[in-house]
Amino acid sequence: MINFLPKRPVVSFVVSIIITTLSGCASFELTDLFQGYNSQMKPVKAAQRQGEFVKAQNLLGERAQGNNSYVLNLLERGRLEFLAADWQASQKSFAQAYVEIEEQGNKAKIQISKGFENLSAVVSNDNVTSYQVPYYEQSMLHSYQALNYLFQHDLVGALVEVRRANLVQEKALKAYKNEVYQAQKELNNSGMTTDSLYSGYPSMASAIGKVKNGFQNAFTFYLSGILYEASGELNDAYIDYKRAIEIYPENHYLQQDVLRLAAKLGMQDDLASLQQRFGKYQAQTSKEQGQVVVLIEQDIVNSKQDIGLNLPVGRSNSGLKFFSFSLPVYQETLPKHSKLTFKNQDQSYFSNEIVGIQSLAAKDLQEQLPALLTRQVVRVVAKEKMRQKLSREAGDVGNILASIYNIASERADTRSWSTLPDQVDIVRMNLPAGKQVLQVQLNGQQKNIEVDVQPNRITLINFSAIGSYTGYQTINL
Amino acid sequence: MNKLALVTTLGLTLVFATGCANKAVVRYGDATAVETTDINFGSTDLQKVAAQMTDSLLLSPVVGTLTQNARPVMFVERLKNKTSEHIDTESITDSISTKLLRSGKFRFVDMGRVEAAREQLNFQHDGGMVDPNTASQFGRQIGAQYMLYGNLSSIVKSNQDKSDVYYKFTLRLMDLESGLVEWADETEIRKTKAKESVGW
Repeated sequence: MINFLPKRPVVSFVVSIIITTLSGCASFELTDLFQGYNSQMKPVKAAQRQGEFVKAQNLLGERAQGNNSYVLNLLERGRLEFLAADWQASQKSFAQAYVEIEEQGNKAKIQISKGFENLSAVVSNDNVTSYQVPYYEQSMLHSYQALNYLFQHDLVGALVEVRRANLVQEKALKAYKNEVYQAQKELNNSGMTTDSLYSGYPSMASAIGKVKNGFQNAFTFYLSGILYEASGELNDAYIDYKRAIEIYPENHYLQQDVLRLAAKLGMQDDLASLQQRFGKYQAQTSKEQGQVVVLIEQDIVNSKQDIGLNLPVGRSNSGLKFFSFSLPVYQETLPKHSKLTFKNQDQSYFSNEIVGIQSLAAKDLQEQLPALLTRQVVRVVAKEKMRQKLSREAGDVGNILASIYNIASERADTRSWSTLPDQVDIVRMNLPAGKQVLQVQLNGQQKNIEVDVQPNRITLINFSAIGSYTGYQTINL
Repeated sequence: MNKLALVTTLGLTLVFATGCANKAVVRYGDATAVETTDINFGSTDLQKVAAQMTDSLLLSPVVGTLTQNARPVMFVERLKNKTSEHIDTESITDSISTKLLRSGKFRFVDMGRVEAAREQLNFQHDGGMVDPNTASQFGRQIGAQYMLYGNLSSIVKSNQDKSDVYYKFTLRLMDLESGLVEWADETEIRKTKAKESVGW
């Protein structure tokens, strides 16, 4: 290819610009350019479904620090290590990911390196930009990190992590309105409107469900509530349960938790209004009982898909013109997961949903779309310019090469944390102290969990049901 | 035109090459120098907190009367970390107890080493290698009269332009027998960081 092109100076100039920008500071792998992240992750997810977490880690591979997907790689690795019950390694991966995210956040407002990255994204695609970790993924990071600390018997460390998760959610709430508005304004400036986008882009309503925004994660709030309760800070626990119930008001266990703490803390006004919403509350703990909380991770979250669209872009000199775009999308409808049943001595407990990751991911994508499309408009126009230039300078060969390059490199950025569970459920029950056996019913199969219930204390069980794999971890808080 | 292209390419390559390269340098520094690598809890905060707390404790009139004719025995309970950072609070209590010991006004028992001491005493008595006359006796340790405890909390705020972190460190001295809090003090630290507007 190089032999053909440098006949003309302009061509050589364009080629050298591409080469230099592509070999910028934040390195990336060439496979990223032509193979989407979703298909790269397929074998990893297949191994994860079979419970072969070490194999999945090997398939995942490693990315060098400075690689544009380094953070994402750390997140995937940390999650797989967590599933493999390697708390220390998982803690290390997540801690490194946190450092990277913090560094990203602390960077200057105008970054020169970012400019180069965007420049190379203009001639290739979004996969070469460094991965921005969405807020919901950050809150999941801290949740798993908190569990890592817990399973190493460090409640103080776990509490630090849930505080960090809360900071992330507060930050997200503040940034949210401003960012969405700004992005839409910029999109309009680029010669495209959100209306024309939504005329061609599939509505993700069925993939999203009914979440209000892409960052408020009730699972994180609930976990933080449990940990605060375990450390005796009931007031903090109450606040977090209340935040969680704003997101999942129909969750039966959450309702009971909020009522119980409102009664215990003597919040009479709150208790009255809560009882109106959720029914009468009756205190029922006796001395010789302990609480068992089960967190149930179901399946693996879907990856983003690549979708090709022809959308009109308004150019000031040549009117409306159609360009082909490649955009990420969640097309699958929200997966339905069956409720798990936990049985202990004639009593049955059904699991209740506390977070749907695909909802958050798809909603987050929807919020990112205007900004994404703005970059895309700049890119397709620039690529078209390049093709015209090459066809003028290097004739048919240049035209064909440029067209091939444009088609091959037009690939949506399908990166997202893909080893996360699709849904997390909770079950909370009061059991008599001592050794207990819980029978779990899952898709017609039965599994026994042995727990050592301590009086007046919380026992946490993390139960994973991923594909054909089921496993659990217990800890007394 | 050809030359221009060549020069631009060379220039760009140089920019990238220099942007990525960095060379490691090792040197010694002053351990008490002000450290501002980032906004998180650092060595300067630790030193500041420990120094202010011990000064305040040693200079307080209540403690003056306590230590007039005796060297009270204290033990340090763990500091509660209520911040959003993984801070080694034992390191802070270590600094404080070391400073207090150095003042010569207090004595300490170390709860963290009870097991090690028990092991050593067991060895002296049952190991068969130590002369029983020189072996330290069981049940002769001195009980602590005072407990030192506290917590470290923080408020973190940040927006696009700056981040702000506020630490509050509270320390209290309790008379174990009467349950009275004989002394308490707090130290505050505020750090802000303005983001640079242009950077690499």
